[in-house]
Amino acid sequence: MNFYLTGLYFLPLIVGGILLIAPAKISRPLVILSSLILSVLALLVFFSVSEPVYFSVPHYVSQLVAGADVLMLMYFLWVALQRKSLLVGILSVVQLAGLLYILKNLSGGETLQFMVDRLSTFMFLLINIISGIIAVFTLRYIDEEECSAFRKKFFMALLFWFIGAMNLVVSADNLEYFFLFFELTTLASFLFIGFRKDAVSVQNAITALWMNQLGGIAILAAIFFIMYNGYGEITFTNLLAHTGADGLLLPLALLSIAALIKGAQLPFSKWLLGAMVAPTPVSALLHSSTMVKIAPFIILRLSPAIKDTPVAMVIVGLTGFVFIASAISALSQDNFKRILAHSTIALLALMIMMGAIGTPVTIVAALVLVLFHGISKCMLFLNAGILERVFHLKQSSDMDRLSESGPFTALVMTIGFMSLLLPPFGAFIGKWLSIETLGALATEKKLLGALVLVAVAGGGAVLSLLYFKVMGLLINRTGEKDQLRFENTGPYYSATIYILLGLVLITVAGLPLLLTYYFAPVAAAVHGSPVPVLNEGWNLFIGTMRIPLLPMLIAFFLLPVTILLAMFIRFRHADRAKEYMCGEKINYSFSSFYFSTDRAIPYFSAAGILFFIALIAVALI
Amino acid sequence: MNDYLIPVLLIVLAPVIGGLVYGFERIVKARMQRRIGPPLLQPFYDFLKLADKRQMMVHSTHAFLGIMHFVSLWFALAVLLLGGDLILVIFLHLLSTALLILAGYSTRSIFSHLGANRMAISVLAYEPVLIIIAVSIFMINGSFDTALVFAGNEPLLYKMPLAFIALLLVLPIKLKKSPFDVAEAHQEITGGVELEFSGLFFEAVYTAKWLDYIFCYTLVFLFAGSNILLGLGLMAFTFLYLNALDNSSARVNYKQMLRFSLGVAFTLAFINLIINSLL
Repeated sequence: MNFYLTGLYFLPLIVGGILLIAPAKISRPLVILSSLILSVLALLVFFSVSEPVYFSVPHYVSQLVAGADVLMLMYFLWVALQRKSLLVGILSVVQLAGLLYILKNLSGGETLQFMVDRLSTFMFLLINIISGIIAVFTLRYIDEEECSAFRKKFFMALLFWFIGAMNLVVSADNLEYFFLFFELTTLASFLFIGFRKDAVSVQNAITALWMNQLGGIAILAAIFFIMYNGYGEITFTNLLAHTGADGLLLPLALLSIAALIKGAQLPFSKWLLGAMVAPTPVSALLHSSTMVKIAPFIILRLSPAIKDTPVAMVIVGLTGFVFIASAISALSQDNFKRILAHSTIALLALMIMMGAIGTPVTIVAALVLVLFHGISKCMLFLNAGILERVFHLKQSSDMDRLSESGPFTALVMTIGFMSLLLPPFGAFIGKWLSIETLGALATEKKLLGALVLVAVAGGGAVLSLLYFKVMGLLINRTGEKDQLRFENTGPYYSATIYILLGLVLITVAGLPLLLTYYFAPVAAAVHGSPVPVLNEGWNLFIGTMRIPLLPMLIAFFLLPVTILLAMFIRFRHADRAKEYMCGEKINYSFSSFYFSTDRAIPYFSAAGILFFIALIAVALI
Repeated sequence: MNDYLIPVLLIVLAPVIGGLVYGFERIVKARMQRRIGPPLLQPFYDFLKLADKRQMMVHSTHAFLGIMHFVSLWFALAVLLLGGDLILVIFLHLLSTALLILAGYSTRSIFSHLGANRMAISVLAYEPVLIIIAVSIFMINGSFDTALVFAGNEPLLYKMPLAFIALLLVLPIKLKKSPFDVAEAHQEITGGVELEFSGLFFEAVYTAKWLDYIFCYTLVFLFAGSNILLGLGLMAFTFLYLNALDNSSARVNYKQMLRFSLGVAFTLAFINLIINSLL
């Protein structure tokens, strides 16, 4: 068993190293093979770990980790000097000082630095399978990038190192290790975002760097307060063991802040939106399987300790606000990737909220959202890459002829949006579970519950509208082109899309089974007590929640099937009419409506900052 | 068994009842203008006439989406009348409208597109109010089930009067009545989304409007709980109010509509929600 885990940590590092020097001929089979191996390893680990596995590393590794920490911070300092960024410089110095202080005062006792439990294995599956698919896709994408051969190799290597760092993040128990891996993902995303080296890329990379550095400082501060309050070991396990102790709320709040920043919640959403300038696989990676998913991971990890505390209530309020605010901001976007980014932030807010509430049902909801959002967003972002490379489209308003020139891509994107929106896809189930369980919250904390319910339901409606707006562009065509001929986008692109399409469809078909055998055990491990999932007649019970399957099934045939059928159906016995144009003969180009939300953005950010201040305040009181 | 008799009958007969409401509405509206108006069954005569027309369409996707708009709206109505989850009902209703919007977008007709855009904005205008009403009902009943509302002894009207006023303010948007009929606006964008439908396919969109009547009046009825007399009274009042308003007001543009509904109706419903959740 340890052997598989070792593979998950070291294989990406080694493969990354080889990719950096190996010729292109070797790199292709190597990437495909190692993606496969990583996926298989993740599956094996998932099935072999049922109880948490703790393991420690020799003492010299601890020194190595400390050394790596310092080196990385030095690198950040160097970046600050090179880019003349005062902010990054100050933050790096603060981090360095904090780290050195902690290292000096750290008790030398033997601690278990790593813990792999069901939540980690759940994340392994998402990280390795989805990122593996992205890696295969990237093989061709990066080939078409205009940069030197070495930069291309570097990109692929970085991708695998990123996967390795992610695998480490989700298995670190010691907070100092966690800090290192957390900042390693920051470093990787900094390099990724700045990959294209133009002014905007560099600027956005710096933004991403300092925002995530704040998260790192929050972790360091959390470590400091744990040591200061004398709770002993600086591990997640120890933290959870002291649930409810005095003064523990502050470190928990600080760790939550780290999570919220990684999860790009307002006012820190700018770094994720700025990440759009990087090559598209980076966006796919950041949004679906890595980076931002650290946010729900941390919150889920902490959920037994923070649920029912004032900290959790502030997080619920904040995320409810972020959900509706980013849904509204998404309405004003035209750039396809930005639309996707805003909807990621909204859904992340929902995941974090569900984790923070921390009842069995909400944990299931959070996990469902994490997984299904990962698959769907990956598919959509890879399609955005195809649009960019094959069809040369970036703005959604230019896509109005896509159903004629690229019907397959249009079809897959439609399925992608539907899987984020409609029953019976996982994202819908997650949203529905959220709304129903927020009700339970509303019976206790009335005002907060009511406001968050409105935010989630309202944001959901706005997002639906947004998705339909984009879908409308995807099925727009004239009556003259009735022949459907799927385009060929090449083996790397189409293979990855087919795999993702398969994943979407399989997970939907097997949702009742997945809930029982996949999500429920993980949720039970997170929550610390069994989560019963029952399938009785036409109802699915999760704890006390009932999901009626019959309306779900009918809704499935009415909505997703309808939309798909609409693309293929041909009525034979009806005559054709031209569109009514008032007798004009002009070629119109069609667009869509937008709302300008620019004026609202500062207010959104201000509100976000207030929430963050409140988060610290309630923890201090 | 008896509990289900009335809802099921209502569901099955919904298009017929909706058609009668529409026919009656045309008479009432005409009388307000001192006209005699068409016979009560005029909508059904129109229906038969349309069925006889030559079948024309822009393309199959468009025509099919129109039909499915009707079917899914009927399903949403069924869930509502059978006492289902109100949030689910609102969501299904939103999606059925979205199918029609999608139909509008699927052609390359300018008016169809304009109509679809405006319809999407209309959804944005009334949907938040509906959601707040659903959440308010939850705060009062502790459940989203409409079955509980229909069985409730004390009418919701007394607990959420402001929400009812808000509903009255957004219903004209939902039913495309003046002054909020921008989505249809015959004189301006020649019917919007409806424009490209004809014959049998138009029939679906045409009768879906009748279903929408039943849907909206059921929402009004919700405020009376199990008090049927009050419910009928509310429905009659709403009916007269809608037609009087339709007859007496001029169309505003979509910005004014959005501002009004989010500024006034939404605020009213929101205040009511806060009061409900504090009590």
